[in-house]
Amino acid sequence: MDDRRTESGDRPADGRPDWRRRARRVGRAAGLGFAAGALAVGGFVAAGETVRFASDTVFAVGALILGFAVLGWSGSVFAGRGIENAQEHLDVSSNWSEADSRRAMTLLAGVGVGGMVGSVLATLALGGV
Amino acid sequence: MISKRFVIKRLLLLIPVLFGVATFVFAILHLAPGDPARVIAGQRASEEFVRQIRTELGLNDPIWVQYGRFLVEAVQLDFGRSYQIQKGTPVTEVLRYKLPVTLEMAIYGQLLGILFGIPLGLLGAVKQDSVSDHLTRIGALTGISVPIYWSGPLVILLFAQVLNLLPASGRIASRFDIQPITGIITLDTLIQGNFAAFQSAAAHLLLPSMVIGIYSMALISRMMRSSMLEVIRQDYMRTARAKGQGSKITVMKHGFRNAMIPVVTVIGIQFGTLLGGAVLTETVFGIAGIGSLLVSAIQVGDYPIVQGTVLTFAFLFTLVNLGVDITYSYLDPRIEQ
Repeated sequence: MDDRRTESGDRPADGRPDWRRRARRVGRAAGLGFAAGALAVGGFVAAGETVRFASDTVFAVGALILGFAVLGWSGSVFAGRGIENAQEHLDVSSNWSEADSRRAMTLLAGVGVGGMVGSVLATLALGGV
Repeated sequence: MISKRFVIKRLLLLIPVLFGVATFVFAILHLAPGDPARVIAGQRASEEFVRQIRTELGLNDPIWVQYGRFLVEAVQLDFGRSYQIQKGTPVTEVLRYKLPVTLEMAIYGQLLGILFGIPLGLLGAVKQDSVSDHLTRIGALTGISVPIYWSGPLVILLFAQVLNLLPASGRIASRFDIQPITGIITLDTLIQGNFAAFQSAAAHLLLPSMVIGIYSMALISRMMRSSMLEVIRQDYMRTARAKGQGSKITVMKHGFRNAMIPVVTVIGIQFGTLLGGAVLTETVFGIAGIGSLLVSAIQVGDYPIVQGTVLTFAFLFTLVNLGVDITYSYLDPRIEQ
């Protein structure tokens, strides 16, 4: 573990964000999504569904995850500070923070994109178009 | 002074928000059961006709092609044509007539919330632990807790049925024939100088706005109270009082602006809830805005209308939050940094 990093893990002590580390993390999430997407299409087809149905369903689920993640990310950037303030003023403080939320949503977006790409490639490989 | 860089940065944030909503809605509608081609053709239509519609709509293309096409068309504000509700009419055209109805109700609701919420919160903070403070807090907690589908019928029962003071549904009495200019009926009646019609429109709007504004008022007053209490205890407030300034002037001149910072943020976030509330309120009060349009579109499977309505809601919400951000940075210039 690099001791120059802060607790959050992707911002070194000099204050600049560590893009390489962030990209690696999102890449891993996308890889996971890709594998899950491709396997899910294969799984549906193996279970007797048409390639068309499998492709549509898995791609839509990937898009759902991506949409949710992008919305969550932008919502955190847009209103995160306000929500943190509101929590403080309404005495309902939790451990939720804007930065954590953004990080989580970025990973989720990676999974979503990976899933979409995985389903497209699996569909093409199965000759479903 | 608000910096251009700050505003541009916030405007650019609109892009991921709208992209996220568009993707989300696309995915939900593709996962929902039902065939849009069958919806358009009708249950008794032949398979061949359904297939023909499917080809015309491009539903035979791979889903990623449909997704790309949907995004490109959404950027051009083309959400397609209504399948069912106004068959064949472009969605943008449908929304153009329905949007002002919802906006009018949401804006009046928000205004009521602000007009009553801020003074009540101030009163609670200035007279902390007095009877009026306790009443305000109970009122605020009740307002936050009561759902619209319950408060709506209750106010109709009280003000329209028992007291017979206000109309229970609609936008204006049927005897008035108002030509739409802006679509916001209270504004249109004023522009046309018809004050009797304005009175009728305002009376029709009061109950739905009240219902939609109760939650907003409750939250704003609670936020205002806690924020003002915090400000009142600050050293600069004590200094101002020590210099002989009256307590009312101290609160309004030095405290109010600082206490407003978190309240303004809540008002922005609250607007989303208000738009969500419009869906229920319009259904309860029989108002034909985009809230009730959305409900009907979901019921009959009119997907283009659902997509257009949800994207419009998202756009409005982000736009209001942009306004809030700008106000926020005006109240506290440190925010821009």
